[in-house]
Amino acid sequence: MGADSGSGAAPGPAVSWRKVLWERQPFPDNYVDRRFLEELRRNEGLRQYRYWAVVQEAGLVAQQISCVALFLTLWLYMEQGLLSPSTLLWTGLLCALLGYGLYQALAPRGDSDNHHRTRWSDLQSASIFLSFTFGFSPVLRTLTESVCTDTVYAMTALMLLAHLVAFPYAHPSPPGSLSLNAALFASVCLASRLPGDLHTSGGLDSSSSPSSLHTFTMLCWALLVFALWPCLLQRLRDCAPWVFGCVCVLVGVCGVGGLGSLWPGGAVLLAALLGTVTLLCPLLLIRLQSDKDNIQGPWDEAEIREDLTHFLH
Amino acid sequence: MVLKIFFPQCCNKADSGLLVGRWIPGQNSAVVLAVIHYPFIPGQVKQYIHQMRGQSGVDLTVLGSWSMPKEGQEGMESFLRDLSTIFPQGQWLQLSREMGKIGFRCHVLTRDPNGKLIQQEKELKEDGGGEKGGTKRGGGEKKGEENKVEGEEGGGEKDKVIFIHYEQRKVMLSQLHPIDNGVPDPQTESQLPQLLLLQVFGTVCQSEPLFFLDKYDDGPVKMTHWQSEGREGSIIVELMKQASTPVCLLTTWMLTLWTSLCSSRILNMRPMRFISSKLSTCVQLSYRTEHLQTVCSPTRATAHNHFMRKANIFVSFFVDVSLGLLLVSWMYRENRIGKLANTLVPAADYVAKELEELLQWLMGAPAGLKMNRALDQVLGRFFLYHIHLWISYIHLMSPFVEMILWYVGLSACLGLTFALSLLSDITALLTFHIYCFYVYGARLYCMTVYGLSSLWRLFRGKKWNVLRQRVDSCSYDLDQLFIGTLLFTILLFLLPTTALYYLVFTLLRLVVVMFQGVLHLSVDFINSFPLFAMGLRLFRSYRLAEGVKFRVLCEEPGTPLHLMMDINPLKVSSVVQTYRTPTYSCYPKDSWLALCKKLFLGELIYPWRHKTTKID
Repeated sequence: MGADSGSGAAPGPAVSWRKVLWERQPFPDNYVDRRFLEELRRNEGLRQYRYWAVVQEAGLVAQQISCVALFLTLWLYMEQGLLSPSTLLWTGLLCALLGYGLYQALAPRGDSDNHHRTRWSDLQSASIFLSFTFGFSPVLRTLTESVCTDTVYAMTALMLLAHLVAFPYAHPSPPGSLSLNAALFASVCLASRLPGDLHTSGGLDSSSSPSSLHTFTMLCWALLVFALWPCLLQRLRDCAPWVFGCVCVLVGVCGVGGLGSLWPGGAVLLAALLGTVTLLCPLLLIRLQSDKDNIQGPWDEAEIREDLTHFLH
Repeated sequence: MVLKIFFPQCCNKADSGLLVGRWIPGQNSAVVLAVIHYPFIPGQVKQYIHQMRGQSGVDLTVLGSWSMPKEGQEGMESFLRDLSTIFPQGQWLQLSREMGKIGFRCHVLTRDPNGKLIQQEKELKEDGGGEKGGTKRGGGEKKGEENKVEGEEGGGEKDKVIFIHYEQRKVMLSQLHPIDNGVPDPQTESQLPQLLLLQVFGTVCQSEPLFFLDKYDDGPVKMTHWQSEGREGSIIVELMKQASTPVCLLTTWMLTLWTSLCSSRILNMRPMRFISSKLSTCVQLSYRTEHLQTVCSPTRATAHNHFMRKANIFVSFFVDVSLGLLLVSWMYRENRIGKLANTLVPAADYVAKELEELLQWLMGAPAGLKMNRALDQVLGRFFLYHIHLWISYIHLMSPFVEMILWYVGLSACLGLTFALSLLSDITALLTFHIYCFYVYGARLYCMTVYGLSSLWRLFRGKKWNVLRQRVDSCSYDLDQLFIGTLLFTILLFLLPTTALYYLVFTLLRLVVVMFQGVLHLSVDFINSFPLFAMGLRLFRSYRLAEGVKFRVLCEEPGTPLHLMMDINPLKVSSVVQTYRTPTYSCYPKDSWLALCKKLFLGELIYPWRHKTTKID
C-alpha cells in the first residue's frame, strides 16, 4: 500500500499533483503522492516528565490513601473501646479550630470585608453541620441494624474505593460530589456498626446499638477528614509548596503508625502501598514513556483551537 | 345504462292498471309502490297522487302501465299505450304479463324533444317472478279518454332492464344501516349501490300514507299494495297508544318536580355535591332520571335512532325494575334483610381483626426481610391505632344498622342496578380504613422514591434541569452535599420498610377496587345493553338491515334478469355497537403498563374512571 500507487494510472511527471480542491486534475480523487507520509509526526505531544516532580504530585495520592487509613484507625480505636467518644470529639473540635485558624492565616491578601463575610457564612455552615448531624444521629445509629455485618463492611470498602478513585487530585478544594458523598456514606455505614455504651444497650438485643455520641463523633471526624482537610491542603499547596510536601510525608507516617499500633500487618501493607504509589509508579510512568508511539498526520480530525484572547480587547 | 325496476311481490298478480311509484334520479331506477286499477278517472288519480305527495313527501308519479291479461280483454295494449298521453312523463313503462306465461314484458317509451313518445326498446321476453302466472279475472274496465299521437319508430338504444322483486312490508319496516367507508362520494362506483338502496328503502318507508287505503275503503281509487287486503292493527297497541299520552304527561310532570328538588340550593352545596358525586347510588339515580325524561317526553320519536333509543331505555328500565322487585321480594321474605344486617357488624369486626394480625406480622420480621425496627414500630402502631378508632366507630353505629339497612334496601325496588350500586357503596364505606391506609402508605412510599431519585442525582453530582427537562451536572456547596448524603443514606436504608407497608396496603386496596369494579361493570352493562334492539334482531331480523342480498329467480339468455332482493340482517355485534345507550361507562383509565409504572412510583391509582356525567 505504497503512497506512490494511486488507484489508477498516474499520468507522467508532466503534470504534478497539487493538494488543492478547486482545480480539476487528471488524478483520481483518492490519489496521494510521495509527500503524504512526509507529513507524519511521531509522539508530538510527548511530555518529558521529571522524576521528582511526578513523585511530588503522587504524594497527594499517597496522602489521601493515608487519610483514609487514619480514619479507619480512629474507627477501630472507637470500636475496640480504646478511645472514648467524648475525648475524640473534643480533639476533633480543637483540630477544626486550629485548621480554620491556619486556613485564615494563609489566606491571600484581600479586603477584610470579604473576610468578615466569609467568616459569617463559615459559622453558618458549621452550625448547620453540627445541628443536622446531632439531629440525625439517633436515626443513623440504628440504620443498618438489620443488615448483616459483612454486607456493611463490603459497602464501606466499595464506597471508600469510589472515594479514592473519584477524588479531584488536581484541585481538591471544591470537593468532588461523588468522592465526598461516597466517603460520607461509608462513614455512616461504619458509624452504625460501632458498639454502644454499656448503659444504652438493651438487655434482650444480641447486638448492642451504638449511642448517639459515637455516631456524632464519627460523622464529625468524617467531615473533618474528607471535607475540610482537602480545603486546607489546597491552601497549603497554593501558598507554601515546600510545606505541602512535608505535610504529605507527615500524614503518611501518621497513617502507617496509627495502623501499626493496632494491626502491624496492615501497617506493613499500607507502607508498601504508599511506597509503590509514591516511588514506583512515577518510575514506571517515566520508563514507559519511551514505549509510546503516537502518530499524527494530516489525516487526523481537525481540532479547533479557539483563541479567545482577541475578544478581550 | 341498465334500467332497474323495483317491483313489489304483492303486485305480481294484480289486475291491470297504472303503476304508481317514484323515479330515482341519477340512478336510472324506478320503484313501483302500488297499482291503481280500472275503473279510474284520470283527474281523480292525479288529484290523489298530488295529495299523497303532500302527505308523504315522496315524489310520487305514475310510472307506467301494468297489464295482466284476462279473457275478453283484447285490445288492452293500445289502450294502455294511449294512457301515456294523459300522464305526461319523461319515460313510460309498459309492463305486461301474458296468459299462461311466467314472463313479464317491458316496453320503455321515452319522449323525444318534440314531445312524441318513442318506443325505445325492442320487445324482449323476460321470465316472471318465480310463480306460475295465474291471471285474475276482474270486473269490466272502463276505458279512459285517450288521445295520443304515438310515433313508433323502431330502433333506439337497446336498454337492458333488470327487475328486482322485493317484499314490500319488510322493506317498509326495515331500517338500513349503511356501513361507513369514509366520505360518501356519489361518484365512486362502490357507493352507487348503497345510495340506490338507501333511496329505495327511504322511498318505501316514507310512502306509508299511500298504503292506508285498502280494498274495503270507499276511496276515489282502488289500489293494490301490501296492505290492500286489510289494514293491520291490534287493539292492544291502539289502547296503549291512547293511554300513553296522559301517562307520559304525568310522568314528565313528576320528573320535573324531582329534578327541581334535586337542583335546589340546599342540596347543591359543596360538600353535598362532592359526596353525591362519589356515591354511585346517587350517580345512578341521576342517570335513571335522565333516561326517564328521554322516554317520557310527549313528543313522538321521528328519527329511527331516537325511537330505538327510547325503546331500548324503556325495555332495560322495565327489566331492571322487575329484577329489582324480584330481589326485594326474595330478600324481605323470611326477614333475610335482618339477618344480613346482623352479620354486617361481625363482618367488619372480622376484617379489622385480620388487619391487626397482619400489622403484628409486619411489625415482626415478615418473611425474613430486613426491616428497620424503629420505623416499623412507628408505622405499625400508627395503623393499629387507626383500626382501633374504626372499630369503636362501627360499634357505635351497630344499633342503627338494621333499621338503616331495612329502609335503604327498599330502594332496590327502583331496579337491580340500584341494589348493585348500593352494595358497591356499602363496600366502600366499610373498607374506608383500608383506603386510608393505602393513601398513607402510598404517600410515604412516593416521597421516599422521589427523594431517593433526586438525592441519587446529587450523589453523582448531577441535577435535574427543569427548563431543559434533562439531567445536568451541577457543582454543589459543601453543606448541600453533606446534608444530601445524610438524607440519601437514611432514605436508602428505610426503603425496604416503607416499600413493604406500601405493597401490603396496595394489594388490599386493589382487591377492594376489583370487587367494586365488577359491580360497576355489571351496572353499566344493564344500563347500556340494547335489549330491544337485540330482541328485534332475534325475532324480527328484517327490521335491522345491514344490506341486501340478491337471488337470481330466473335467468335465460336473451331475457333480462329477475332478482329477488332479500334483506341481510345486521350482525349481532354491530347491533350492540350501534344501539348501545351511551352511559358513564366504567372503563379502566390506564393501560397495564401505565398502571404498573404508577404502582412502582407510588402514585395514587384510581383504576376505574367514569366519563363525565351531567351532574359534575
